[in-house]
Amino acid sequence: MRFEIKSATGVTHLAIEGELDAVSVSELRPDLEKLVKGKPTVVEVDLSSLRMVDSSGIGALVSLYKRVRAQGGSVVIKGLRDQPLAIFRLLRLDRVMLGADTTRSPPPHKQSKSRH
Amino acid sequence: MPTLRYDAEDGAPAAEAAASIRLQLAGILEHRNVALRAVSMACKLVTPGPQGRAWNNFQMQVVSAVGEAFNNIVLHGYAGRPAREQPNSIDLRIQTRRGHIRIELRDWGSEFDPTRIPPPAFDTLPESGLGLFIMQSFMEIAYRSGRPNLLTLSKRYVERSSAARKGEGAV
Repeated sequence: MRFEIKSATGVTHLAIEGELDAVSVSELRPDLEKLVKGKPTVVEVDLSSLRMVDSSGIGALVSLYKRVRAQGGSVVIKGLRDQPLAIFRLLRLDRVMLGADTTRSPPPHKQSKSRH
Repeated sequence: MPTLRYDAEDGAPAAEAAASIRLQLAGILEHRNVALRAVSMACKLVTPGPQGRAWNNFQMQVVSAVGEAFNNIVLHGYAGRPAREQPNSIDLRIQTRRGHIRIELRDWGSEFDPTRIPPPAFDTLPESGLGLFIMQSFMEIAYRSGRPNLLTLSKRYVERSSAARKGEGAV
C-alpha cells in the first residue's frame, strides 16, 4: 500500500494505492490522525488505484469521513472500482460516502491523481 | 515458515479433479497474504475456464471472505495471548472440485462464533463488525468451537456457457 497526502487551495487530497488491509492500515492511521487534526474543509480521497480493501481499511475510511464531517468539513471519495467498489456497495457506504463520479461505471484505466 | 501440501487426483484434468491444499501458518497478519494467494489460486480449480465477470466476482468474494476470517482469528481469537502460549497457528485447508470451493480454518485461540453476531447497524456508519458481514454475505459459513475451533467457508460456482462469457465484453 502506498499513499500520498497533498493540500492545495483549501482541498486536501489523499490518494491510496494497492491494498488497504489490516496489515497496511497501521501505516496510514498516524497520517490520517494528522490530517483530521488539521481541520480540513474538503478532503478528496482518490481510490482509483486501490486494488483491495478489507474491513480494517474500510473502518479507517469511515472514521476519517465521520471525524471530518463532525468538524464541519466534507469528504469526497472518488475512483472506486472492482473489489473496493463491491465492498462499499455491500456495506451500503456508496449511498453516503461516494462522490457522484464513483456511482457511475469507473473507467478501465488509471486516473490522474492531480485534478487541479 | 508456512508449510504447504497439495494433493490432486492423478490423471484427472484440471478443474475436474478434486484438489486439496493445506497450509500451516502462524496466527499473525503477516501470513494472511500467503493464505490469500493460495485461496486465490485455488479458485482457478473450480472451473476449466477461470475468467470472465462471474468468475472474477467469485474469486473476489472468496478471497475477501477468507481475508476477513483470517483477520478475525488473529485480531480476536489470538488477541492478548502471550507469545509463549503456542500454538498461535492457523491451519488452512482448501478443498476444490468443479463448481465448488470449501475452506476450513482451524485455530487454537478464543472461540468467536461469527454466525451468532448480528449485522451492523449501517445507518450509524459503523467502523467495526463489518468483516463478519462481509464473510457472511460472500460465503456459506459454519462454526464449531473447540480445540481447535473450526470455521468452514464454502461457495458454489455456477459456470456460464462460453457464449455467455463472450457476451460479457459486448457493449
